[in-house]
Amino acid sequence: MRILIAEDDFASRKFMLKFLSKYGECDVTVDGMEAVDAFLMALDADMPYDLVCLDIMMPTLDGYQALKAIRDIEESRNIPEDEQSKIIMTTALNEGANVNKAFELGCVAYAGKPIDQVKFEKVLRNLGLI
Amino acid sequence: MEEEKVQVLNDENEQPEQKQQYMTFRCCDEIYGLSLENVNEIIGLGQYTSIPETEDYIMGLINLRGKVIPIVDVRIRFGKEPLEYNDRTSVIVIQLQDEVVGLIVDGIEGVVNIARDEILPPPSVSNLTAQARKYVFGIGREGEEVKLLLDPYKLLHDPQEEQEQAAE
Amino acid sequence: MGDDMITDGMLDMFIFETEQGLENLENICLESKDVGEFDDDHVNEIFRIMHTIKGASAVMMYQNITTLSHKLEDVFYFIRESKPEKIPHAELLDYIFEVSDFITGELEKIKEGSETDGNADDLIEQLDKYLKKIQGGKAKAGEKPAAPAPAPQEKQRYYIAPVASDDSKFYLIYITYANDTDMANIKAYIAVNALKGIAEDILFTPSDIISNPDSANVVLEFGFRIALQTVEDANHIMELVNASAGIENVEIHECTSDDFIAFCMEAQSPVSSAGEVLTAPVEQPTILVKDQKPQAIALTNEEEAQKSNEKASEEKQPEKPASKPAAKKKPAAKKGETQSFISVNIKKMDLLMDLIGELVIAEAVVLQNPDLKVPGLDLTNFQKSAAQLSKITSELQDAIMAMRMMPLKNTFQKMNRIVYDTSKKLGKDIELEVIGEDTEVDKNIIEHISDPLMHLIRNSVDHGIESNEKRAELGKLEKGKITLEAKNEGGQVWISVSDNGKGLRKADILEKAKANGLLGNRSEKDFTEKEIFNFITLPGFSTKKQVTEYSGRGVGMDVVVKNIQDVGGVLDIESEEGAGSTMTMKIPLTLAISDGMIFSVSGTSFVTATNSVKEFIRVSSKQLIVEPDGEEYVMIREECYPLIRLNRYYHLKNGKENIEEGIVIILSHEERQIAIFADELIGEQEIVVKPIPAYIKKVKGISGCTQLGDGSISLILDTGDLLK
Repeated sequence: MRILIAEDDFASRKFMLKFLSKYGECDVTVDGMEAVDAFLMALDADMPYDLVCLDIMMPTLDGYQALKAIRDIEESRNIPEDEQSKIIMTTALNEGANVNKAFELGCVAYAGKPIDQVKFEKVLRNLGLI
Repeated sequence: MEEEKVQVLNDENEQPEQKQQYMTFRCCDEIYGLSLENVNEIIGLGQYTSIPETEDYIMGLINLRGKVIPIVDVRIRFGKEPLEYNDRTSVIVIQLQDEVVGLIVDGIEGVVNIARDEILPPPSVSNLTAQARKYVFGIGREGEEVKLLLDPYKLLHDPQEEQEQAAE
Repeated sequence: MGDDMITDGMLDMFIFETEQGLENLENICLESKDVGEFDDDHVNEIFRIMHTIKGASAVMMYQNITTLSHKLEDVFYFIRESKPEKIPHAELLDYIFEVSDFITGELEKIKEGSETDGNADDLIEQLDKYLKKIQGGKAKAGEKPAAPAPAPQEKQRYYIAPVASDDSKFYLIYITYANDTDMANIKAYIAVNALKGIAEDILFTPSDIISNPDSANVVLEFGFRIALQTVEDANHIMELVNASAGIENVEIHECTSDDFIAFCMEAQSPVSSAGEVLTAPVEQPTILVKDQKPQAIALTNEEEAQKSNEKASEEKQPEKPASKPAAKKKPAAKKGETQSFISVNIKKMDLLMDLIGELVIAEAVVLQNPDLKVPGLDLTNFQKSAAQLSKITSELQDAIMAMRMMPLKNTFQKMNRIVYDTSKKLGKDIELEVIGEDTEVDKNIIEHISDPLMHLIRNSVDHGIESNEKRAELGKLEKGKITLEAKNEGGQVWISVSDNGKGLRKADILEKAKANGLLGNRSEKDFTEKEIFNFITLPGFSTKKQVTEYSGRGVGMDVVVKNIQDVGGVLDIESEEGAGSTMTMKIPLTLAISDGMIFSVSGTSFVTATNSVKEFIRVSSKQLIVEPDGEEYVMIREECYPLIRLNRYYHLKNGKENIEEGIVIILSHEERQIAIFADELIGEQEIVVKPIPAYIKKVKGISGCTQLGDGSISLILDTGDLLK
């Protein structure tokens, strides 16, 4: 599968990359803006990402904004729900309000940092990605 | 202001030194010292509510930001006549574990550093009242000046008195 | 990632909501136990609760909770949809309680941060059988078996809780090689490879050891540094690293995650700073090393890691499963319900309370500022704003106080379950009546009385109420009954546990007390009933020969009393042999709000609970009766009240002496009434009861103190104590 990782923190990015690259081809961006650009490019090339991991606290465009932008793009292109990218938020902000906000914006999972790899893999399995 | 001062000094106190810091105050023409570790803050004496049927040195209760704390007049505790209180009367708020008590003193002197080995046992002869002597655990010397270092626990709880009470 | 537990808002919310749900669930079950069936509302509610728990636990990925709650949801789905008749209710209740207990147990594990490893398979199987049984009954009646659980309407969401912080550790490893080592870069790579097996994250510098042969010299000259995140300990790391040849020295330092990240940042920067001391705080490197190419930047690093990872994953998982269609059977998670409660740390509430106290004082300081007393000042506008400010601060005070008050409902409902469990085990038929569960008490107090209350209830079930046979034998026709009652009484909350059981046998208690040498020199007849009953609250005093699983009368009574005393209360015991006992916890409304009447005596202000004030009145000296021994009474409308002059009682100087100048206040407590004489009445105010600091010994008649609106402190006069 194709994976997009947006993460501004180097250590986390490296961790995500290492962790996820065993499941597929990973692209890495360092902020939300780049992530949305990458997402658009992939759509245009007809190689959409199966999984997008978004950090929440990022420069230029934060995770929520990126999440919303991606969902908007998919909507404007009439991509049916079951073909939309699965988006997982990865963040240390794990207050209930943040989580619910992200769920409302359309992510499928919300992973608190430090990430629990076992559970993360389980979610990927449950989502049918692996 | 004084509160700030104490705060700052407290920070310095963190340094691992043999020297301990003491808050010094005046009472009955003597200078006493209390370990800064026990001192929470210094406040002015405002309105207080006296409590009937308690020891004479317990002047009553004050409201310290919503907390009710008892105040003790150190002069009376030392067996001397109290001074009249005015708006410059200072109260040293000390804390021993969970117990917070305000001490009414004649005036605040400052903070001194006294090394542990400079502390001498209390003198057997002095012009201290017998009462006061019970609460002094040592004499600290800073230059020419002599500070009488108080054991805050004894100051609040006289073991002897408590025993007598228990016997009653 | 410090040592602190991760405080996870999402987890807290899950736990809070689930606990609430389970509590509701138990209450419904207990309500219905005598009825013998669930009504439609109950069925719907239970279905909804299980559905919510199932959804929430699925989001949180607590698989066992999800499966179990799903199963119970299925059962209730069937009941709701097919309305089967005559289902075995008691059996169902037992299953529900088991489910509730299981989930509660798992929640405890979650709170402790351990794995939710409980196995609910047996329970699920039982529920399955039960479901089949009731379905079977239905099928016999000629109807279709139940439809499967409703199809999901929403996508499943997942919440991945962060890993516990203390699992993995960070290490900085510094390896030096002997000067004559060939291809030190390859040796270094071997070390890295060896560590990959245990690494959660690994980073090394120089990082271009494979692609750049020159890196060998760098490794030789400056050593090779690795940052490693792993759960393994240093010894294991040492074993793995030390396996390769040519190694001169290996240093392994455990470090914090910050150091680790700092190392990563450093490696990210183009210049290596391999010459620095390893454990020193890492700073942005400034040393330029000659003959060294700029180090790989982040991307190269990542590419490399990616490559090696790909290799690894190819080996491990030869067939990479293609994307499967998303599992459709996932249950829908119920979400988005508006929260009507938030849980707040009690410390924050205490802080808020203190701050508001400070605000009130500050307000008084401003409003009564001497600067305002300059003659001729026009303060009209100031006074208006001041009034507004006062109104807001007093409302604020009320609000925070009200916030801390909680009804006893939850605590009482827990007792329901205890009566149910205990009486069932003991084979006794016992009914629990609850009165006054809406009585509000400060949160702190609720926490303190829960345990003693539970103990009293167990005592009543276990020892108070006789067995069914015994009751029949004694001709006690009515069912065993325990009454749990709460009420406000003169600034106190009284919580009583009464039973219609056998009561306390005074003779037995006296005998035991005598054996324990507690009677002293007094004759048995000299002891009042109260004194006798109080013996059972002494440590180790038990008249019960056999201690049961639930309670040993006496073993815990001293603990009960201690708990009650901790919040300034007392335990009152009444009992009639053969007819039952009543244990009453009388607890002051510490911190609780009540209305108080404020009055002053020689400059000291006192306050007493308004509900104990019968009236206040000015009396003439004609109404005063002085007995020869100095006792005084006042006659008011043909009634004679004993008079206490507070100034004399408390030896206060300068109080009013002339009865016509001051005010007489009639106080009542239980059945008794008393008149007190004070200088003047000040007013009425809602008061927050605070304890008198422990430093001050108990003064008779004074049960606490309170802060008045102007920040001053008033002493609370307790009528009951005064009358003792």
